[in-house]
Amino acid sequence: MACGARDGKGAMSGRWGWELGGGGWELGGGNWGRDELGDGGWELGAYFRRAPEGAGDVSNCARQALCFQPPRANAGIARPIPISHPRSFAFFPLRRNTSADTSHRFLPSHDTKSPVSEIANAPLPVNAPWIVMKFGGTSVATAARWRNILELAASRRAEGARVLIVVSALSGITDGLKQLCTHTDSKRRSDAASALADRHHALLAEMSLAMPETLGARLADLAELAASGAAELGELAWQARVQAHGELMSSALGAAFLSAHGLPTTWVDARECLHSVALPNQNERTRLLSAMVEPHHDAALSAALASRGEVFITQGFIAQDEAGRTVLLGRGGSDTSAAYFGALLAAARVEIWTDVAGMFSANPRQVAGARLLQRLDYEEAQEIASTGAKVLHPRCLSPLREPRVPLLIKDTNRPELEGTAIGPEVREHAPSIKAISARKGITLISMESVGMWQQVGFLADVFDAFKRHGLSVDLIGSAETNVTVSLDPTENLLDSDAIAALAADLARVCRVKVIAPCAAITLVGRGMRSMLHKLSGVLAEFGQLRVHLISQSSNNLNLTFVVDEDVVDDMLPRLHELLIGAGALRTDDSMVFGPSWQSLYGSGETAAPGAAWWQGARATLLTLADERTPRYVYHLPTVRAQARRVKSLKAVDRAHYAVKANTHPGILKVLAEEGFAFECVSPGELAAVSAAVPDDVPLLFTPNFAARRDFEAALRTRATITIDAMHPIEHWGDLFAGREIVLRVDLGRGLGHHDKVKTGGTGSKFGVPIEHVDRFLRLADAAGAKVIGLHAHLGSGILDHAHWGEVYSQLAALAERIGTITVLNIGGGLGVPSHPGESALDMAALDRVLTAVRQAYPQFQLWMEPGRYLVADAGVLLAKVTQEKEKGVNVRYLGLDTGMNSLIRPALYDAWHEIANLSRLDEPATTMYQVVGPICESGDILGSDRRLPESKEDDVVLIAQGGAYGAVMSSRYNLRDEADEVLLP
Amino acid sequence: MTSPLSDPRQSRTFRFVRHAYADGVAELAYAFDDGAELVERITFPGAPAVPAGREAAFAAALRLLHLVAGVSYYKAGIPETIVVEGEPLDEESATLADALYLHGLAEFAYRNGLDLRGRIRFPFSAPRPAPPASIGLPKRSLLPIGGGKDSVVAVEAVKSIGADATAVWVGNSPLIAECAARTGLSTLNISRELAPGLFELNRLGAWNGHIPVTAINSAILALAAILYGYDSIVFANERSASVATLEYEGQQVNHQWSKGFGFEKTLHDYLHSHVAADLDYCSLLRPWSELAVTSAFARLGGDYFNVFSSCNRNFRILGPKPADRWCGQCPKCHFVFLALAPFMAKPRLVSIFGRNLLDDEALAGAFDALLEYKDHKPFECVGEGAEARAALAALAERPEWREDALVARFRREILPQLDKAELALEPWLTPGASHLVPERLRGALDALG
Repeated sequence: MACGARDGKGAMSGRWGWELGGGGWELGGGNWGRDELGDGGWELGAYFRRAPEGAGDVSNCARQALCFQPPRANAGIARPIPISHPRSFAFFPLRRNTSADTSHRFLPSHDTKSPVSEIANAPLPVNAPWIVMKFGGTSVATAARWRNILELAASRRAEGARVLIVVSALSGITDGLKQLCTHTDSKRRSDAASALADRHHALLAEMSLAMPETLGARLADLAELAASGAAELGELAWQARVQAHGELMSSALGAAFLSAHGLPTTWVDARECLHSVALPNQNERTRLLSAMVEPHHDAALSAALASRGEVFITQGFIAQDEAGRTVLLGRGGSDTSAAYFGALLAAARVEIWTDVAGMFSANPRQVAGARLLQRLDYEEAQEIASTGAKVLHPRCLSPLREPRVPLLIKDTNRPELEGTAIGPEVREHAPSIKAISARKGITLISMESVGMWQQVGFLADVFDAFKRHGLSVDLIGSAETNVTVSLDPTENLLDSDAIAALAADLARVCRVKVIAPCAAITLVGRGMRSMLHKLSGVLAEFGQLRVHLISQSSNNLNLTFVVDEDVVDDMLPRLHELLIGAGALRTDDSMVFGPSWQSLYGSGETAAPGAAWWQGARATLLTLADERTPRYVYHLPTVRAQARRVKSLKAVDRAHYAVKANTHPGILKVLAEEGFAFECVSPGELAAVSAAVPDDVPLLFTPNFAARRDFEAALRTRATITIDAMHPIEHWGDLFAGREIVLRVDLGRGLGHHDKVKTGGTGSKFGVPIEHVDRFLRLADAAGAKVIGLHAHLGSGILDHAHWGEVYSQLAALAERIGTITVLNIGGGLGVPSHPGESALDMAALDRVLTAVRQAYPQFQLWMEPGRYLVADAGVLLAKVTQEKEKGVNVRYLGLDTGMNSLIRPALYDAWHEIANLSRLDEPATTMYQVVGPICESGDILGSDRRLPESKEDDVVLIAQGGAYGAVMSSRYNLRDEADEVLLP
Repeated sequence: MTSPLSDPRQSRTFRFVRHAYADGVAELAYAFDDGAELVERITFPGAPAVPAGREAAFAAALRLLHLVAGVSYYKAGIPETIVVEGEPLDEESATLADALYLHGLAEFAYRNGLDLRGRIRFPFSAPRPAPPASIGLPKRSLLPIGGGKDSVVAVEAVKSIGADATAVWVGNSPLIAECAARTGLSTLNISRELAPGLFELNRLGAWNGHIPVTAINSAILALAAILYGYDSIVFANERSASVATLEYEGQQVNHQWSKGFGFEKTLHDYLHSHVAADLDYCSLLRPWSELAVTSAFARLGGDYFNVFSSCNRNFRILGPKPADRWCGQCPKCHFVFLALAPFMAKPRLVSIFGRNLLDDEALAGAFDALLEYKDHKPFECVGEGAEARAALAALAERPEWREDALVARFRREILPQLDKAELALEPWLTPGASHLVPERLRGALDALG
């Protein structure tokens, strides 16, 4: 818990890697059995399997190599351990022995097979490598968690390493100690000390341990400090001494527990090892409460410790200054201690055990599809830690960089997960953006002055003003006449008049504008400049926003955009997705990118996406393709399954199928059987539906820019009419006399996976803007039409359930003022994930959101009109390979017998469709192809940079998710035949 | 009597059929002509039996509530005749109802192009009742909470003098519930269930529009005060609520009529003359302008900043983001943002709203309406145009605001047309004289200064 150390930038939850705030997340941890994880016996198996030579070859270990023979515990295989591989950052597994791994959750001390007893028998050589393991406050707060530590430490010891355990105080203790320091009354301090002592007594009792001498001494010490107060030591030194007791006590307690359970553990006072240095910019407070250590490999210390034992425990967060006083390390304290020890002992690695598997490619609270980052270099990790991730304090990386000690972040509850390994630069990987982050609450100060560069000292004057008002500048952008800087949110900024005073000062020398609230969106990845060309789609996203500042760091590690804060929440998941789609965030590189946060910790139906239906129907599909290609095949059971998912939304009174997605009569029939109503946008669609479904099925006509004759045709059917413009009611009002109509409003914003599928906002041609609603109602009233419903539809492909709640509540608030409304139609847009690892829409969560709104507005019926959601996955397009072409060094085109004429979505929306070589489904995907069609358009590309098996003429290629907007949007362009359509019942 | 409902616009009479109270539920029944009864229910949670000695007061308050709440139903058809069944009204009761229906529905009438003058005549024939006695109400107050800044300011003022009070609200709103919880006071949540038939009437083409909801809530709270034992109902309506939104064919149309001083005085006097001598009704913020209230709110500091909302659009649904509490599109959002701006650090203010509404060109028209520049004041509970102009003029002088799009536009385009002498902020921060705050709570009034 780092002793309240993570409170630097607002209230952060120290528990998760990222700021997760409200605590609404649940760990799905318990649901994962070992069986589901495959060969879980290897904690770092992936690295190991990928680099067996490097890891195993002792001669490669130039800097320091140790051979040793670990004990043969069960099937444990002896492996030599390279220590710090100088070049390739071999993150060699110090291999875990099997028994330790499989029993890590429970390790009864009477278990004779305990690895602990076996390890204890095999003494380590004096130069055995060190592993530093750090455990935070929640990890040391209960006996059960200590059994976990015992297990993990024992397994490291079994690998043949000396282990140094660094612990934080029991959770809550440091806060208690800080509180103690605020009491002026000695009695209250003593009471507080004794309450804190009770926590440790209780834990001892839970562990069935007698009071160990070391802990007794600490408790007595604390009681004494509490009783005597600050007078003797001085306030700050006394505070540091008092607060150091959290770690001193927890480590003493831990030493007793571990030793009692067969892992003899030596208690080490960190203050004997870590010596702080006084820096010129420090004052007494920072010297005592935010001290710095500059650790260098200390062979003598290493040897001295080695002579005292094999497993050690020490304190995070504390050190000693030159005068021998206890000092605290401040922010990120315990992690930093672990790093200091790692450097001091030139450890094989430092392991930070925490409650999350590591760093992610985005804040999982904002992006559920954020991926675990399995490998990072120091600089990238530091950049990510500095720009958002809170799992690690950025300052704990620099001590490790020079001695090249790798750092590993691991989830205490899920040790089988690979975690994040941070080490020297990894050269063999393709450049990739590793993470995106957003920092909110940024204030920009834009300063404008003509010819500022000609004025000597202009900038010095400007920055002096910031210093005077206690404001620290982060980003800087400059032009000939403008300098814009960013300020991070601080209490000083928020609640004092610092900004007003600063602006007043600056206004004397230039024109100043305070732009807030802003958010800085940062893309992090080594070699950022070389990836710019891949970012055009991403930059287009920014193009719709007010971008106030762009900053590309000189270390080539990040690219930061400062935008209005209110766009960030919606934007981040999209950006993450766009970066994946653009091939800039290479989630296909399974070496670097691990599972998504959603799949590791999320709840709901999305944990394990099942195989697509077509994988099981390969033989049938190959036969169908042999008969004819191109050909669409629709799998009706998938349509039914999706229909039932929609029907599971209890809050929805009526679900319509938006038939524009696919008007195949077979599909219409199935959906009518599933109880769907139908939404049509043209007389043609109305006719097609009427021909296919029973007469009593409700219809909805929701056209856009439809002609008068279209309305006349629709009014002759049973369809409920939706009007989405003023013109029809203003000029053709007579048509609607005595009719009930629905008004489509534009709520003024749009969402969706591509510009062209957004249907809200002034840039969209859909809907009546809110400010015209009153006039529409008057016109409807005058025409004798009754407006019974409001409709809004924000866009397509939306995977975040919260959006419909917003639309729904906004419509309801609007409808409440209009008496005649009985129905709210919140449209469709239910997203279908297309990229691997993207999370499906959480229908249960969506239903909860809708139900919450519904409870507030029970008077309205709720309608929806999903289209693509029902049919996309059900359809595939089958095509055959016609030929191959190679261009340049490494560009290979794979030609199919159809392209944008059958499936225009990739060309039109940059849509991503999975592409598989059905003929070679079992062969490894080795070749990167540009998959293209035969149409004379350079945009006729079905998929870029697709890794497929080496493919041959006449291979059958399957393009997935072709059930929606496939056949219905096909054309005979180039006069090529349209694909036919086949149903699989 | 139970013929099915029909279009109330065709009806000839609106009937106050009956009212009753049992087991914590008040039932108010209305009908158009011989149509089905429209029964509204108001539920008082954990309500005790009507305390001995307060029966007459309770009956008078219930009858008042029946009259006042009828406005929601009457407006569906505005038939020419009003019939009050059961005991006849006295002249004062009828006069109160006449005024409430005429002025409280003025915006409704304006928006629907109706003229209600001469149409609303509550019949009366009973003599004026004897003045009621004191009924021994305990010295504690009901403080209605709306989730916005005003009620928070009033609550804190009452807390500051250590007076006994309960935060109360009518209806189901998570935002208000959270805000009420944040006050640290005991809470009371009364629920009101409109007659389901009203929705049906709406479907059948009923007139619809704005109603004086504060009057209805006030009558509900009068009943609650007698039932649970409170000697005062302390609203948080400020001075500007008395200012008309516009004048239309000679009639003042005030969106906030039932929040105005006129109604406050009428109801205050009526409760004393017809219900109970010791039941007070007042507004603590009455002497103060919107700007004075926002400046008091800004001084309260952090605790409320991230839970309150004065926005009426995003009222029902509570979420963690600023956009869940502040839609940023409605006049309430615009006004509250503007009125807080002179009194709060800019980064804090924009963090509450999640955006800077004064740097959004698209909102120029909306702010113009607040300033009464080229447009009339919006139909919302917002401050006076002159207040908005004073606030914006203050910002125009502030270096941290003056370059924001709408402030710069104001400086350029609007400010030169205004009389500088009328733009000072300070006069808005001094209290007016009129208020009905009882002696016991005067200290809270002073605490606001």
